[in-house]
Amino acid sequence: MHVLLPRTLEEALEMKASAPPAVPIAGGTDLMVELNFDRTRPQAIMEISRLPELNVWRRENGTFSLGAGVPYSRIVRDLTEFRPLVEASRTVGSPQIRNRGTVGGNLGTSSPAGDALPVLAAYDAEVVLAKAGGKIRRLPFAQFMTGPKKNALAPDELILGTRWKVVRGPGSFSKIGTRNAMVIALASLCLVLDEDGRSVRVALGSVGPTILRAPDAESFAARAMETAGVWRDPFGPLPTRVIEEFGERVAAAAKPIDDVRGTAAYRRHACAVLAQRALRWALDDRKLTGAR
Amino acid sequence: MKRPITLTVNGTTYQHEVEPRLLLVYYLREVLGLTGTHIGCDTTSCGACTVLMNGLAVKSCTVLAAQADGADILTVEGLAQDGKLHPIQEGFWEEHGLQCGFCTPGMMLTALQILERNPNPSEEEIRHGLDGNLCRCTGYQHIVNSVKNAARKLKEERIPVIPVRKAVNTRAPVAGAGKEAD
Amino acid sequence: MVISHALGARIKRREDPRLITGRAIYVDDLNFAGMVHVAIVRSPHAHATIRSIDTTAARRAPGVVAVWTGEDVKARCGPLPVGPRIKEMKAPKRFPLVIDGVVRHVGDPVAAVVATTMDAARDASDLVEVDYEPLPSVQDPEAALEPGAPILHQDLGTNVCFRMTYGGGNVEEAFAGADVVVKTRIVQQRLIPAAMETRGVVAQYKGGELTVWTSTQIPHVVKTTLAETVRLPEHEIHVIAPEVGGGFGSKLDVYGEEGLVAALALALGRPVKWIESRRENFIATIHGRGQIDYVELAAHHDGTVAGLRVRAIADLGAYSQLLTPGVPTNTGLMCCGCYRIPNAHAEVIGVFTNRTPTDAYRGAGRPEATFLIERAMDLLAAELKMDPVEVRRKNFIPPAAFPYKTPTGAVYDSGNYERALDKALERADYRALRDEQAKLRKQGRYLGIGIATYVEITGLGAVAGLSGGNWESATVRVEPTGKVTVLTGTSPHGQGEETTFAQIVSDRLGVPVEDVVVLHGDTRAVPHGVGTFGSRTTPVGGSAVYVAAEKVKDKAVQIAAHLLEAAPADISTDGARFTVRGSPERSVEFKDVARMAYKAYKLPAGMEPGLDVTHFFVPKERVFPFGTHLCVVEVDPDTGEVTFRRYIAVDDCGNILNPLLVAGQIHGGIVQGLAQAIYEGVTYDDEGQLLTGTFAEYVVPQATDVPAFELDHTVTPSPHNPLGAKGVGEAGTIGATPAVVNAILDALAPFGVKDLQMPITPRRVWEALEGNSASR
Repeated sequence: MHVLLPRTLEEALEMKASAPPAVPIAGGTDLMVELNFDRTRPQAIMEISRLPELNVWRRENGTFSLGAGVPYSRIVRDLTEFRPLVEASRTVGSPQIRNRGTVGGNLGTSSPAGDALPVLAAYDAEVVLAKAGGKIRRLPFAQFMTGPKKNALAPDELILGTRWKVVRGPGSFSKIGTRNAMVIALASLCLVLDEDGRSVRVALGSVGPTILRAPDAESFAARAMETAGVWRDPFGPLPTRVIEEFGERVAAAAKPIDDVRGTAAYRRHACAVLAQRALRWALDDRKLTGAR
Repeated sequence: MKRPITLTVNGTTYQHEVEPRLLLVYYLREVLGLTGTHIGCDTTSCGACTVLMNGLAVKSCTVLAAQADGADILTVEGLAQDGKLHPIQEGFWEEHGLQCGFCTPGMMLTALQILERNPNPSEEEIRHGLDGNLCRCTGYQHIVNSVKNAARKLKEERIPVIPVRKAVNTRAPVAGAGKEAD
Repeated sequence: MVISHALGARIKRREDPRLITGRAIYVDDLNFAGMVHVAIVRSPHAHATIRSIDTTAARRAPGVVAVWTGEDVKARCGPLPVGPRIKEMKAPKRFPLVIDGVVRHVGDPVAAVVATTMDAARDASDLVEVDYEPLPSVQDPEAALEPGAPILHQDLGTNVCFRMTYGGGNVEEAFAGADVVVKTRIVQQRLIPAAMETRGVVAQYKGGELTVWTSTQIPHVVKTTLAETVRLPEHEIHVIAPEVGGGFGSKLDVYGEEGLVAALALALGRPVKWIESRRENFIATIHGRGQIDYVELAAHHDGTVAGLRVRAIADLGAYSQLLTPGVPTNTGLMCCGCYRIPNAHAEVIGVFTNRTPTDAYRGAGRPEATFLIERAMDLLAAELKMDPVEVRRKNFIPPAAFPYKTPTGAVYDSGNYERALDKALERADYRALRDEQAKLRKQGRYLGIGIATYVEITGLGAVAGLSGGNWESATVRVEPTGKVTVLTGTSPHGQGEETTFAQIVSDRLGVPVEDVVVLHGDTRAVPHGVGTFGSRTTPVGGSAVYVAAEKVKDKAVQIAAHLLEAAPADISTDGARFTVRGSPERSVEFKDVARMAYKAYKLPAGMEPGLDVTHFFVPKERVFPFGTHLCVVEVDPDTGEVTFRRYIAVDDCGNILNPLLVAGQIHGGIVQGLAQAIYEGVTYDDEGQLLTGTFAEYVVPQATDVPAFELDHTVTPSPHNPLGAKGVGEAGTIGATPAVVNAILDALAPFGVKDLQMPITPRRVWEALEGNSASR
C-alpha cells in the first residue's frame, strides 16, 4: 500500500487522475477500521487532511461553502450560526474523532448513519467535486449519495466540499442511539424551517439505504402552519394533532430495517418522536426570536 | 516503499524511514519504544491510544505515521517534566482515577484537551469530553474527580495545561532501532 | 482489631507512579531480540468437521517461521484443565488447538502461524486453507437439552455437563400451603468481560528455564497446569503476571494460548509473542452470565415467604474452562438471598452450546442469584400490593440469627441487612421519593425507585461443593536495614493491594507505609499462591499478610527483649523503637532489631536467624458481604430511554482498609452491573455468529452513560478472619443489576409491565409499552 502526500489541491487532483484507485484519507476515522479488519486493501491512500484548499469556508451571495477537510471540532467552535450542523457535529464519534473527522469524510463514506448527512440533505446542499484540469461538478446531495456507502464520485474526482443557500429560520439535529455518545444512530433527524420560503424540511438518517427526505410531511407541516397562521404569528397555536400527524408522516417516509442495534418498528417510531420534538423546538425557538 | 518522516515527540525530534501503512501508535510503541501509549481495540472505540497531536487529542490508531510528518506529539511519557508530575497525573493519583492503569495514559491526555478548552469544566462537561475513552475499572466517578482536581491545581499554580517544550535535540535514524510493522 | 493510622486511612496508591507516567510494563510492552509473533486461525463456523487443513501457502509466505495445527499440538502438548470436578460431571478434554477435527464455536482455534512480525503472521494466517464441513449447531441451552439436539461432544453422548441440586425443607408442602405464588423466567444474557487490556502471552525458553509472561489473575495456577500441558517439570517453569490491564474473571483461567505460546517457545527456541486482538477477545476469551432461571416464590398474605423453587439452566458454551461449572452452582448456593426462606429447592443444569465458553465474570453466579431473588421479591410485593421495602423487611434474616445456615447450604457469617436498608432509605429520603413519584405520574412522567438488598459470598478458593481448599500465602520479610518486603500469592491487577497490604504491615509493625514494598505475580519471587478473584484478595490474602506480620512482630519483640535483657511481656513498641515498659532509657530501634536478626550472634537460645515469615492462611469459613442499592430512574415513555436520577449504595464489606480503594471497587462494580441492566448483552445469530463483535455493537458504558454514585457503608466485621474484612470487588456488580431493573419496572408499573428482558434498551421499553412484538 502506498501513501500519497500531495501538498496542494492541484497536485492531489493530478495524483488522483493518474492513480484513481487511491483512497483519499483525512481523519481516517472510517478507513482505518476497514484497514484494521482487512475489509479493504487499497493499493494507495492519499492523505488530504492538510490540503489548505479543503480547510476553509466561505460565504458569498447568501451561499455558504464548507471545505471537505474542516474537522468537526472546528465546526462546533466556529460555525455556531448553523445550529443543526453544530448539533450533528457535536454527536459525531468522540472528542478525538471530532478533531480528525470531516464532513468530506462523511460524504466520501456515504453511510446512511453519517451524522452530518441529514443536515446537508435538509440544507438542500450541493456537493462540490473536482478533477484535474479544474473541472468542477456540483451535485445536489440527493444525486450525490445513491445508496448505502454508494455515491456518484468518479474515480478521478475528489470531494472539495459542500455548499448551501443559507436560510433564515430555526432548526435542529437530533438522534436516538443505544447510548449517549459515540454511537451509531438508530435514527437521526434534521429539521429546518425556511422562514422566507415558508417551508419545512426534514431529513432522516439511519432509517433507509440513503438519507431520506419526507416531502409529504414537509408540505403537510408547511400548509398546516399556513392554515393556523403560525408563519405570520409565531405565538399562534399549532394544534397538537398537527404535530402528531407530522410525526406519523415523517415516520411513513422512513424505510428502516432490523439489525443488531434495533428493529425497523422502533426506528420508525423513533422518527416520529424525533420529528415531533424537532417541530416543537422549532416553534418554541420562533416564539423566542419572533420568527426573525 | 519506505518514506522519510520527521516529527517531534515529547520535545525530541526524530527522523525515520517508515512503511506507509505504519500507524502512529506502532511508530510510538515499536520504533520509539514509548510503550505508555496502549492499544485496546481495533475499531477506534476505546481511546487507550490517545495522544496529543499539535495540541489536539487524536486516537493514534487512526493516524498513519506518515500523516504525522511534521507534527508535534505529546504522549504520557512527556507529561512529567524534570521528575515533577504534571497536575493531571497528580490528580489521577490523589483521586484514585485509575485501577489497572491501561486506559489511564489516554484518559489523561484527553483530559488535558478538556482543560485546555475549558479551564473550569462542570462534571457534565468533563464526562462529555471523556466520551471517546473507555474505562472498565473505575466507573468514571474518580476520573471525573481527578480532572476537577487537576483543574484546581492548574489554576492555582498557573501552569500551562499542555506542557510546553522546545525541541531539545534531533535524533537521526538509528540503524536497527526498533522494528517496524510492514 | 484496632484501626490504626495506617489501616482504614485514605492513602493514595503505591502502584500509581509507574502507571501514570507510562513506565508500567504490560505483556505487549515486552520485546526481545529474535522474537516471533503468533496469529491464530480461528473457526468461522459454530460447529463443523475439519476435512483438511492446507498450510502450504502459509508456510511459504514471507517471514513465516512455523505453522502448527492440531497434529503438532497432539505431538507436543498435554490437555488443559477443565474445571473443578463436581459430582457426575462430564467434561470434554481441551487442548491449545482443536485436535479432534471438530470445531465447536466461532473462534475455536484451529491453527497457529508464527512469523517474524505480527503483520506477517496475520497476513499468512489468511493463507491457511481449512476445509470445513458444517454441522448443525445448537445455540440455545434449552434447545440443547431437547432430544435430537446436535451433540457437541459425541463421546459424552449428551450436552449435559452436570446437574446439581440444592435445598432443604419441604418445598412441595410450602407451595401447597401458600396464599400466593409468583413466577418468572429470567434470561441472564451473556456478557463480555472486556478488560481494557486484551489477553497476551510472551514465552521464552532460555538456560533450561521456560519463562511465560501472561496477562493472568492466577500465575501460580498457570505454572502448575503448564507443567502438564507442555510436559516440563514445574520447577523449570517461571510464570510472570506483569502489569495486568483488568481481568474481571476473564483472566481467571488457563487458556489454550498460554500452552500454545509456551510450547512454541520450547519448540522454536525463540521468544514467542501472542497478543489477542479485540475481535479475538470477544470470541476467544470467556463470556460471563448466560443462564435461564425459572423462579417460583410462594408466600402468605402478610408477605412472609414460605418457599422458593429455582431451575437454572446454564449456557456453558462449547467447553468447560477452569471454573465454568462453579459459576452456576454459586447461583444455587446463594439463591435465598438475605431472606429466611425455610423451604427452598434449586436445580442447576450445565449445558454445552456452540458458543464461546462461559466462566467467572465479576460476580460469577452471585449476580444471577441476587437478581432472581430480588426480582421475585418485587413481583411478590406487586402481587400483594405491598411496598417492596416492607416485603424485604418482613423476611430478612435477623441479626441475632447469625451464623445462619440457608436451606441451600450456605452458612452466613454475620450481617445486619435491615441496618443497611434503613441507611439507604434515609439517605434517599424514600418517602419523599415516593411522593415525588406519585406527583410526577399525574404529569405523565415516570419515575422509578428500585431496591436491591443483597448478600454475597466471598473469600472463595474453590466453590462450595467442589473440591479445592481455600487459602492464600504471604511472606513478610524485614530486611536487615528495617525495610519490609511483602510477597503475596494473590495477583492484583488494579485492585490496589500493593497499597492495602502495605497498610496492613504498617499497622502491625508500626513501620511507615512507605517502608513496605509488596511484590506479586512472579512465581519465582513469591511463595506458591492462588490468585486474585472472587473478592478474596483482602479477606484471604490480606489475612495471610496480617498473620505473617504478627508472627514477625512476635519474633522481633523476643529479639528486642533478649537484647534489652527483659521479658518479652515487658516490651512495648511504637514501630520505630522497642522499649522496656517503665524504663524509657532501655530501648532499641526497630532497624537494629532487624539487623541483629540477621547478624544472629545474639539471638535467644534456639531461635532461627532472620526476620522473615511465610504464612499460609486458611479462613475458618467463607464470608458474606451485604448491602442495599437504591436506584432512581426516569423513563421516557415516548422513546423508552432511561435516565438515572440517583444511585445510592450502602455496602457492608466488614472492616474497611482503605476507603478510597473501596469506593473505586464499588463504583466500577456498579457500572458493570448497571451495564448488564440496560446496555450490554451478547447477541448471536441462529448460525452462532457473534453479532455484537466490536465495541460499536457491544455497548460498554462511557462516562456520560452512567451517573455519579452516592456511597455509604455499614460495618459488620467478619468473625472468620483477623482483618474482619469481607471483600468488596464484586458487591457493586451484584447489587446494581437488580436495583436498576427494579427501578425501571417500578417506573413502568402504571403500564402493567412486569418483566423486561435485559439489556433493557429503549426499544424494549417502547415495545413493552406498545404491547408491540414480543421483547426479544
